[in-house]
Amino acid sequence: MFSLRDDEKERALLPILRELCPRLARECPPYGRFLARLGGPPPSWETLAQIPPLPVAMFKRFALRAVAEEAVVRELRSSGTTGQTPSVLAVDKATAFRQAKALAAVLKERIGAARRPYLVLDAPEAVGPGDTLTARGAAIRGIGSFATETVFGLRRTGPGDLEPDLDAAGAFLEAHREEPVLVFGFTYMVWTRFVLEAERRGVAFHATQAILLHSGGWKKLSDKAVSKETFTDRASRVLGCPRTSIIDFYGMVEQAGSIFLDCEAGNKHAPAFAHVIVRAPDSLRPARTGEPGILEVVSVLPTSYPGNVLLTEDMGVVVATDDCPCGRKGSAFRFLSRVERAPLRGCGDTFAATRGTP
Amino acid sequence: MRVHHFLATGETRRLDSLEPILEALTREREPAAERKIDHVIACHEDFGRRILEDARTRSIDGVAFLSAWLRRENLEATLALSLHGLGRAALDGFVPHGRGAFLAARPQGLVAMWLAGNLPTLPVFSLVPALLAKDVALLKLASADPAGTHALISVLAESEGGSVRGADLVRQAALVWFDHREKDLNERLSLAADARVVWGGRAAVNAIGALPRQPHATEAVFGPKYSLAVLGRKRLEREEGLDAVLAAIARDAAVFDQRACSSPHTVFIEKNGRLGLEATGERLARHLEALPPKRGQDAHTSLAIASARAEWAMSEGRSVIVPGLEPSWTVCLDRETSLKAPVASRTLFLTEVASWREILPILGPEVQTCGISFEDDEEARAFAERAGLRGVARCVRPGLMHLYESPWDGKMLLDPLVRWVTLRP
Repeated sequence: MFSLRDDEKERALLPILRELCPRLARECPPYGRFLARLGGPPPSWETLAQIPPLPVAMFKRFALRAVAEEAVVRELRSSGTTGQTPSVLAVDKATAFRQAKALAAVLKERIGAARRPYLVLDAPEAVGPGDTLTARGAAIRGIGSFATETVFGLRRTGPGDLEPDLDAAGAFLEAHREEPVLVFGFTYMVWTRFVLEAERRGVAFHATQAILLHSGGWKKLSDKAVSKETFTDRASRVLGCPRTSIIDFYGMVEQAGSIFLDCEAGNKHAPAFAHVIVRAPDSLRPARTGEPGILEVVSVLPTSYPGNVLLTEDMGVVVATDDCPCGRKGSAFRFLSRVERAPLRGCGDTFAATRGTP
Repeated sequence: MRVHHFLATGETRRLDSLEPILEALTREREPAAERKIDHVIACHEDFGRRILEDARTRSIDGVAFLSAWLRRENLEATLALSLHGLGRAALDGFVPHGRGAFLAARPQGLVAMWLAGNLPTLPVFSLVPALLAKDVALLKLASADPAGTHALISVLAESEGGSVRGADLVRQAALVWFDHREKDLNERLSLAADARVVWGGRAAVNAIGALPRQPHATEAVFGPKYSLAVLGRKRLEREEGLDAVLAAIARDAAVFDQRACSSPHTVFIEKNGRLGLEATGERLARHLEALPPKRGQDAHTSLAIASARAEWAMSEGRSVIVPGLEPSWTVCLDRETSLKAPVASRTLFLTEVASWREILPILGPEVQTCGISFEDDEEARAFAERAGLRGVARCVRPGLMHLYESPWDGKMLLDPLVRWVTLRP
């Protein structure tokens, strides 16, 4: 899963994308226009970095479906803030299957294959019935493939409002105090609704074999001056598990199944079917190792929508290539922050700030 | 220590209130009023020369433009227009005005300025009219780290002209920064002001507008503005001089990284029998390509450019011209009569319309400058008359869009900065 060097991965993924991107372009006219106008002929792509990355915001502005409507088995939606248009991803059976398999394979490599009790630090409503899933729901359900039983540790108190169900979570963790259990939640919710709440009530658990997977929401935590180290320290103290069992991962609903887990050295790695490129902020050329830039994620998983080469709205930095201390090959990177609006520079910017920019 | 006071020595002094600064400025009011305007102008001209030569300032974004603006002829012309035909001598004392009457333009007093953005030259553009009016000024900058502006003021302090030294002029002004949420400081500044000059977006303008003020205080508000360009049919149908016009639009887009209120974003072209939308776009692109390279770019802007490119590329009926993946410049093409949201950093939206009359309904008071190029002056005048009625403040040739002149945003620059005193002996 992580044995390919960067150059080997380049050789493995490039031919797939040279074939896949034009096919998606034929089936999805907006993406076809994107490639025709900004891509150059796919046979001329000699590196993954030469494939034009599609800004993720385009999933909010265009219906980007590359299969017939009746072939869509699931719609994935970004969680989005209230009032924002969510991204909508049309997933067909083959893509759904591939995404599920890929997610399981990545998790298995990091946490082992054994199924185990599963505590979701979210409310049951996050995984609604039907064929439409939010990013949260998709992640909960995807990781749920490792579950022998599932308990939800939060409950919904109103539209968009959640409160901890510490009784349920406590009973779960108490019942499995010496057993391997899997805990998952979105970082901000884990922090505000579980860690802080448990600390406030003076509750600490003894889930010595728990593994907490968490993702997303770092901007809100950064705003509250909560670092990753602080989060890891205090979450491990509340759960009673080692710090190394608190595992952050990076992923986006537009590339479901393709997740980038923290390794033992605290770096994130792309699995065999994915890749990450950091692009220099000023030129959008691939940045050098150690140079922060905009994260681009590459995945060969989706074939029902053009989500293979995406320019994210996040900043990151490649910290190692093929030589991460953990032993995994390929590019190892760290997530830094969301791309922040620069300070207003001129009187005209005040108009742009009022109107918003694309 | 909430107040950062940026001194001409290059140092930054930390204070907890504005009082020491306000007291020092008050002491400067009388000496400032005594200075001869011609010497004040000469000192500014020297300042304009020095900033091009001084290592601290010569590479600051927009400094060449500022230097040209500080030339004597420009400042004299600005004063001539702003002083209602009475001549700049009115700034030095009474001048005859009709039979047996005299008028003098006296300093308003203390001018409080709230700046927007952190382009280093903007505070200087705002400050100079106040110095010419012999006011004292307290500028609340938008950035806590105004390195470029700070350097410019340091060079001003070393300038001289006639009997006026730059050190005198910088004593007339204080540059400060404090957090915009410091309500008491904002209120103190507002109440101390005899004139208020406000640059900013809607939220800032509203917030500063709500501050208490002296009943006599005058005000000039330079709120959020949008600028555009219009090329007439006949202009596009005549080859001669067309490249000069397109090159001027490209330059107007490049100056201030397209972040000034006078920066063009949408360029409307009239449908014509010679140059189509794509062909005009390619011509404009060549001139953007010929510009000197940009100096760095932040991730947010690059992402906004990538998104705009993708959106125009993916939409039916739209297109885009780019130099490659690098976000150095972008021309987005469409036929939608609308003001495109600014992306900045050399991103132009080229829109074909049947006639300039089509765009009149979308013009309003938020549009500041139209860079216009029509083949005959009659048509230019017709456009300007209609656009002016809709609220547009300036219709000027491409290449002159940023010419900071009086009137600006429809206001004579010196009007809020001077008090007219009548003498009928």
